[in-house]
Amino acid sequence: MWAKIKNWLEIRIGLTELIQTQLTEYRVPKNINLFYTLGFVALVFFVLQVVTGFFLLFYYIPHSETAFRSVQEIMSTVPYGWLVRQMHVVGSTLMFVCVFLHFIAVFFMGGYKKPRELTWVVGTFMFFVTIVFCLSGYLLPWSQMSYWATTIATTMPTAFPYIGDMVGNLMKGSPQVSGLTLNRFFALHVTLLPLILVILIGLHLFLVRRIGISSPPFGRAEEAERPWKKYHHVSHPDGHPFYPDFVLKEVVMLMIFFALMFFIISFLPTLLLPEESNIAADPFKTPAHIKPEWYFLAPYQMLKIIPNKFLGISLQIILSLLFILWPFLDTKEEVNILKRRRLLAFFVLGVFLWVVFTIWGKVS
Amino acid sequence: MRYILPLFILLILPSVAQADWKEQFEKEFLTRPWAGVQVQRNVCIECHSSEMMKPEDRDIPRKWETSWHSQNGISCHNCHGGDPNDAENAMSPQRGYVGTPKPAQIPEFCGKCHAGILKNFLESGHGKALKTSGKGPNCVTCHGSHTVQKASIQIINEPLCTKCHSYGRVKEMRQALLLTENRMNEIEKSLKELKTEGVFTEEEDKSLFSTQAEFRILFHTEDVSLVKKRTDEFAHKLSSIQAKIQKTFEEIKFRKNFSAFLMMIFAGMAIGFGLLAKTPKE
Repeated sequence: MWAKIKNWLEIRIGLTELIQTQLTEYRVPKNINLFYTLGFVALVFFVLQVVTGFFLLFYYIPHSETAFRSVQEIMSTVPYGWLVRQMHVVGSTLMFVCVFLHFIAVFFMGGYKKPRELTWVVGTFMFFVTIVFCLSGYLLPWSQMSYWATTIATTMPTAFPYIGDMVGNLMKGSPQVSGLTLNRFFALHVTLLPLILVILIGLHLFLVRRIGISSPPFGRAEEAERPWKKYHHVSHPDGHPFYPDFVLKEVVMLMIFFALMFFIISFLPTLLLPEESNIAADPFKTPAHIKPEWYFLAPYQMLKIIPNKFLGISLQIILSLLFILWPFLDTKEEVNILKRRRLLAFFVLGVFLWVVFTIWGKVS
Repeated sequence: MRYILPLFILLILPSVAQADWKEQFEKEFLTRPWAGVQVQRNVCIECHSSEMMKPEDRDIPRKWETSWHSQNGISCHNCHGGDPNDAENAMSPQRGYVGTPKPAQIPEFCGKCHAGILKNFLESGHGKALKTSGKGPNCVTCHGSHTVQKASIQIINEPLCTKCHSYGRVKEMRQALLLTENRMNEIEKSLKELKTEGVFTEEEDKSLFSTQAEFRILFHTEDVSLVKKRTDEFAHKLSSIQAKIQKTFEEIKFRKNFSAFLMMIFAGMAIGFGLLAKTPKE
């Protein structure tokens, strides 16, 4: 039976040749490391979000009157609803962590350099779409925690003069976070954002395969073709086969992340769903200590400590633009960050400040 | 790098022109409700906290803040009437202001919300004494006023009761209540524990609240035999709440074990695939 199917496909799409060119004969650099697998893990976690989100939609009712109750029903009465929701919640955070670590790894290994500028830029857009995904999904349970965290997040753009209020109102659909905001965020979360992210993922993967996987700049000679004058595929004829060598590495990393996800669900179930997530949203009762989601803590804290709203938001826009356009700003030929002291210091300082602002935002 | 300077000029310079620095920032940004400061105008609190108020009345807002009423969003106007949003008409009878009740009026004053208790209290010895001679105890005698706390069996104590009469019958009543009260406290603790585990306990909370309210209404009749007679009925209700809680604890345990099992499977697979990746290939 299997042989028949294989033969059927062989005649029509040239299955053997496809497997050879795309998997077994496709080579990756010899010194490739585990950090190169993070993109794949993020992709699988996105698929996990789609699958768990699909099942959550069976029971979730997107209305301010019913959303909270329906989520609580998923957690208490729907068979294994708690597991699906926890996988969705913890999985989204781990997806964000993967994307974040992927960026750090690519930056550290100079993977954004010519000819891969476009791959980086598309990646940054995916990063921002992931943030909007998290933001829009956070409101949907309609709990006190999600309501007030969204209130903070949607108020942050109002720091921008003239158009800030308009942007805030456009997000909310009303002066305060309301049922209208819930509808907007829900529509974004389940229709537009998945579509945009799938297109960007397709483009990102196309660029990675079309240009060829970059190799770590450490402990080996620099890629031969520099300066880059015309297009050609970067192949690694002396490298390891993509399948099974690199695929096995990817699977190992994926299993580690899955084990981590179930560790959090099992032993830290309230890490992302604390007590406040079990209290229905009440627009008239502001909790004493409210915070945005953890990935917004750094920009939130930054806005709080800079005593000029416009300066604060301007700095954030500049940092975002720097992030997106970095490959065009760093045009030096040297790829190895260890040989570039100033860039290394900038990198370490950036990560350090992000961590400090996040912790500061949490405890302040 | 040559783009950075123009970018900075483009975005940073207008911020200097904007120049709304610290004060305006704090006013517009940090004092919004989401910044953690609850902006809620209440003229009763504003006036009573001001210097124009007599010292004994100035302390009322602070006392109220520590109360069970405050924790449950019951504010000045909910008891005293009036309009907390309009300074000029805050104490206008047209806006329902009733002011401070006389001792004999207090049961009806509190009974606007605590209707069940009011009926039993008025039929009790305490209530009858208050209504006939005006000298009997009222709600405030035992529960206090602005500092009112969540009712508990501790309110029934010798120093308080012996201010007016002997403790003999009270002791009997306290013993009749004790077992049920202790069970209710245990359930309350368990529900709190479930909440910290991230479990939604609204249904059990409501059941406990209504059972507690019903039981405490009964106490205000001061009829020990009635309390004893109905104790079994309450025990049955509490048992059914406890059974639900026990089931939830078991469910939490199952969830923990099930996801830990999945964790072990994936950790094992990570080790297995890791070893496979290390195996030299031909």
